[in-house]
Amino acid sequence: MSLDLLIYAVGAAASLMSVVAVYLALVERDLVKAVIYSAIQSVFYSLLFYLFMSPDIVLVYLPVAGGVLPALLLVLISKTERFERE
Amino acid sequence: MRRVVSLAVLVSIVLGMSLLIVLSGQSFYPSENLRWLAVVYLNTTYNPYLPDFTVWSPESVTAIVWDYRGLDTLYETTVFYLAIIAGLALGRGVKRLNQKPTDESGLSPIVKTVTKITGPMILAVAASIGLHGHLTPGGGFQGGATAAVVPVVFIVVFSSFYLLWKGVSSQRMLTLRSAGLIGIGLTSIALFLAGLLLGLPSYVFQNIDKTTSPLSMPYDVHGALLSGTLWWFNLFEFLAVSSGFTLAFIILMTPEAEEKW
Repeated sequence: MSLDLLIYAVGAAASLMSVVAVYLALVERDLVKAVIYSAIQSVFYSLLFYLFMSPDIVLVYLPVAGGVLPALLLVLISKTERFERE
Repeated sequence: MRRVVSLAVLVSIVLGMSLLIVLSGQSFYPSENLRWLAVVYLNTTYNPYLPDFTVWSPESVTAIVWDYRGLDTLYETTVFYLAIIAGLALGRGVKRLNQKPTDESGLSPIVKTVTKITGPMILAVAASIGLHGHLTPGGGFQGGATAAVVPVVFIVVFSSFYLLWKGVSSQRMLTLRSAGLIGIGLTSIALFLAGLLLGLPSYVFQNIDKTTSPLSMPYDVHGALLSGTLWWFNLFEFLAVSSGFTLAFIILMTPEAEEKW
């Protein structure tokens, strides 16, 4: 039973931290940093998926949301402007 | 300071909402009690005592994705294929530069050496995720997405011309990707065609023999479990997804040649 409690506690912490990362990604004016915050949120999500017993989703979520999607966004940012304006 | 305050407000709102949901008993916890549908799937995915119903795969997720609802997954693959085709259409007619990468291009020699070691390791992990997808968590899409990280890293670390210079061109990736999709199509109708030729009843997306059809894909090779069509679907999906992502990144990251009028 204590293992269940630990899983729920880590899951709650991870989901709260993902909310923080989403907020930071939204208010950040430097788009490169925003992409990094969004990747951090993805890592917390994949931890949640792992804790809630869906390892198949983790395996697709980690490379796509942690590697491929940030790389795609960074390429697009490099072709436009790095800083968001008012 | 304002950012910290608004962050604290946001976090407390989220915490309060979660507390309300928990107190009202509306929240969902994953539990160890299974629903009856899950029990049916878990009882039939690997069950030698029910040879007419089993998929011969200990991994129920892959069994569901490529056997119970294989047609869904075929159309998902088609959607991914069309999305990449649309991306290619945006970049059509654009001449790409193709220079020989020098030692100065890209990042430092330390990063390059580490990438040369880790690149094949990532590929090995990706292949094991993809090709063991019928035994352990994973599958073709997961393995293919992991393998697609390698070209991205190589493009960043070496230079945007490195892959092209090594022969990983967009045309070859397109060929590989089409081969993957054709393989998926052929695997899904393989038993149906065999049934037509032999005059036996069989179905599209049939994996193992059914009560109404005696045809069956081989589910093991010398004792190594292949789970019939699942291994082939995983292999071709791995090819299609990894080459599709690689294609998109080559198109995005290679600079355009100067227009010569």
